[in-house]
Amino acid sequence: MNRREFLGIIGAASATALTASCNRINPLVGTPSSPANLVRFPEKTEMIFLTDRPPQLETPIHYFRQDLTPNEAFFVRWHLEGIPTSVDLRTFRLNISGHVRQPLQLSVDDLRSQFEPISIIAVNQCSGNSRSFFEPRVPGGQWKHGAVGNAKWTGVSVKSILDRAQVKAGAVDVSFNGLDVPPLPSVADFVKALSIDHARDGEVMIAYAMNDQTLPMVNGFPLRLVVPGWYGTYWVKALSDITVLPQAFSNFWTDKAYRIPAGPNGTESPKDLAKDTIPINRFNVRSIFVRPDPEETLHPGTPTQIEGIAFDSGYGIRRVEVSTDGGGTWADARLDPELGKYSWRRWRTPWTPTNRGQYRLMARATNAAGDTQSKEQWNRSGFMWNVIQQVDVRVG
Amino acid sequence: MTPKIKSVVLLLGLAALLAGCGHSSNINKESERGNANEKMESTMDSKPDNLVHTIVLPHYEPVFPPGPGRDEFVTACVVCHSPRYITMQPRFSRTTWLSEVKKMKDVYGAHISDEQALKITDYLVSINGKPDSGQAPKGTYGE
Repeated sequence: MNRREFLGIIGAASATALTASCNRINPLVGTPSSPANLVRFPEKTEMIFLTDRPPQLETPIHYFRQDLTPNEAFFVRWHLEGIPTSVDLRTFRLNISGHVRQPLQLSVDDLRSQFEPISIIAVNQCSGNSRSFFEPRVPGGQWKHGAVGNAKWTGVSVKSILDRAQVKAGAVDVSFNGLDVPPLPSVADFVKALSIDHARDGEVMIAYAMNDQTLPMVNGFPLRLVVPGWYGTYWVKALSDITVLPQAFSNFWTDKAYRIPAGPNGTESPKDLAKDTIPINRFNVRSIFVRPDPEETLHPGTPTQIEGIAFDSGYGIRRVEVSTDGGGTWADARLDPELGKYSWRRWRTPWTPTNRGQYRLMARATNAAGDTQSKEQWNRSGFMWNVIQQVDVRVG
Repeated sequence: MTPKIKSVVLLLGLAALLAGCGHSSNINKESERGNANEKMESTMDSKPDNLVHTIVLPHYEPVFPPGPGRDEFVTACVVCHSPRYITMQPRFSRTTWLSEVKKMKDVYGAHISDEQALKITDYLVSINGKPDSGQAPKGTYGE
């Protein structure tokens, strides 16, 4: 049985099931400005509904009031309609091939039993997280700030697997493919690549566990590539094939898609699009408010706590400053202990508003390299948003 | 694939069984999540080895308002993706919608003629459009 046959059968199973149980939601058209719909997918809790086919689900912000994002609330983003919906671990194999002396076919059990397990806490963030805040607006998944999550990933380093496969001299790139398949032959299969040195840095890993549990199917069961500090586009889900290449990898998803202007912070002008573009790569620095809730009513004289998260690509967050007067004055927030250089760092600051009225909260993170957040930013694809966030709250 | 395997897969897809995720240390945590999952079509093989993991994706009935180009849109676009790819977008100009349709045709290989592409663009503008700034007037295809 090949993969397409199997997926075909699974598709038939899904089609049979959907006639039996259909979750209906509000009519879909005419909703661009209406509040986010929530939706439940298998193994997931209620999440913000972007699309169903393929699934794109956003995490409600209140889940970020904890160090690790629960698996059931972790954001979901697929590219191709043909996503895997069934995996038989008796027959599933991770194939390592290409420019190696010893091609490998490893079961998930092999990975668990034959290699030293490693764990890392790391943020995964979609390249297009916060895309809906760019002005002028750009087409693409209209995420707010919830296409991000922080999890403990456990698995095997790609280095240890490549070492066993004995990479030949002259290797340039390593490509990673998953079980998802395109809906038409003309659509490029979703495959991403890293340089051989990056793939072998000992941190890039293949996770078989997420927060000490197996991965939800829509988050990449049974194996997912983890590329600490890099955008989620590289974190290939349902990873099935690793190919070592003696030349640079090239396909639609790296040559045409997921590219950013070559200038600082991936920024360009709508009226003067950048001519030079490069593949998106490491996270920039950003912070996100998680409290107060926009719906929350605050009262004058009543102490409250402003909270958020901040992260970067691995230098480490050194400072988060908060303003409660629209950027007029700033004060340092207290940082929670570091959980690892690729984890987000939570921050908090007490606040007692004195008067009734509207307050504009702002937060600005700085990392150990001295990089901080943007005042303004735009690019045609809506990637890498890290503008200093403004949250308007009412005290009454 | 044998008919037997096929029927097993179908059964797995339809039975809403909840179980651990293949490793005994996870079973408690998985059961704690049971409430959140009880109505979802997620299944693990009920056999002790728990080696087949299957989900059934929910289906959402799309609703399309009537309008010129609706048939072309339903036929050509929804083959590959949910109509929510359109309805989640902000209102865009005709220029932007046309470039999106062209991208689907020229980059992703959607099976549509230039004429159909224009009709689809008309429909997208009619359900989720905004005034254009002047480029790409109605009825032209591309630059």
